[in-house]
Amino acid sequence: MKMLKTLTTWAAASMALILTQTLPGFAQQTAKLGDDEIASVAVVANKNDIGFARIAEKKSKNADILQFAKTMASDHQSVIDQAVALVTKLKVTPKDNAVSKKMTADAKKTEKMLNSKSGAAFNKAYIDNEVVYHKAVISAVETVLIPQTRNAELKSLLQAVVPTLKAHLEHAEMLQSKFTK
Amino acid sequence: MIPIRKFWGNSLILAFPLFILSSCSTSPEKITPEKYVPKTLRVEISQMKFQPATITVHQGDTVEWINKDMVVHDVTQVPNSTWTSSSLAPGKSWKMVVAESDDYYCSIHVVMVGKLIVQKP
Repeated sequence: MKMLKTLTTWAAASMALILTQTLPGFAQQTAKLGDDEIASVAVVANKNDIGFARIAEKKSKNADILQFAKTMASDHQSVIDQAVALVTKLKVTPKDNAVSKKMTADAKKTEKMLNSKSGAAFNKAYIDNEVVYHKAVISAVETVLIPQTRNAELKSLLQAVVPTLKAHLEHAEMLQSKFTK
Repeated sequence: MIPIRKFWGNSLILAFPLFILSSCSTSPEKITPEKYVPKTLRVEISQMKFQPATITVHQGDTVEWINKDMVVHDVTQVPNSTWTSSSLAPGKSWKMVVAESDDYYCSIHVVMVGKLIVQKP
């Protein structure tokens, strides 16, 4: 049990490190993201969390986890739909870039880690990851994506997403405290 | 034998307080309090919050919740889910005549909570 706790803590800490290096760390670099690249990062960030939710829907039997995963899949899809509608209107094509590629690669590692777990260990690993992931994404949106976005409508959309991400984080932390007891 | 003048004088003395008393008595038909006209109040669901989170209404008022967020919400009584709006897509609204004070939340985003307070007349 102690080993399991150590492993999940390690996984969460690793995820935090990967994401903070990928996104918030980018803020310190001199290269800037274009709006087309920012749109891509935003879509990938949402897609990744839908991917984690799909795994939870398959693997968990816990009602709280299933309800949370359903909410994540639905909310992040809504954000993607609005982002796609906006970039279509703006005639901007989301463009793959180093940040979005790294995020996709990291998400695959997280999915592998989640798929290797089951039962209570899975529930805890999933919700720990949700806490870490949302913290990293909120930080990235606030400190990297919003400041670098040029188009006012795209900036406004990103700003509107932040309260949703913060509510997700609060919900995830609430569940995390249940699974830590 | 009571003199006529004294008889009428005594009668008037007795009748006067009775008249006063009868005119002071309140019958529901005569004096009706001003009838309260129920109102409709609005709660906006935006930035993942019910705004205002606490709303004070009169019994019989209608509260309308409108979803101005980009995600689906609902409005559900706690703790027993005795009433619910069911899913409210972005831009949709739902209204309810308020009968009593209640707490409510969004069952999709459980951190979103609100309160209805019914002010007694």
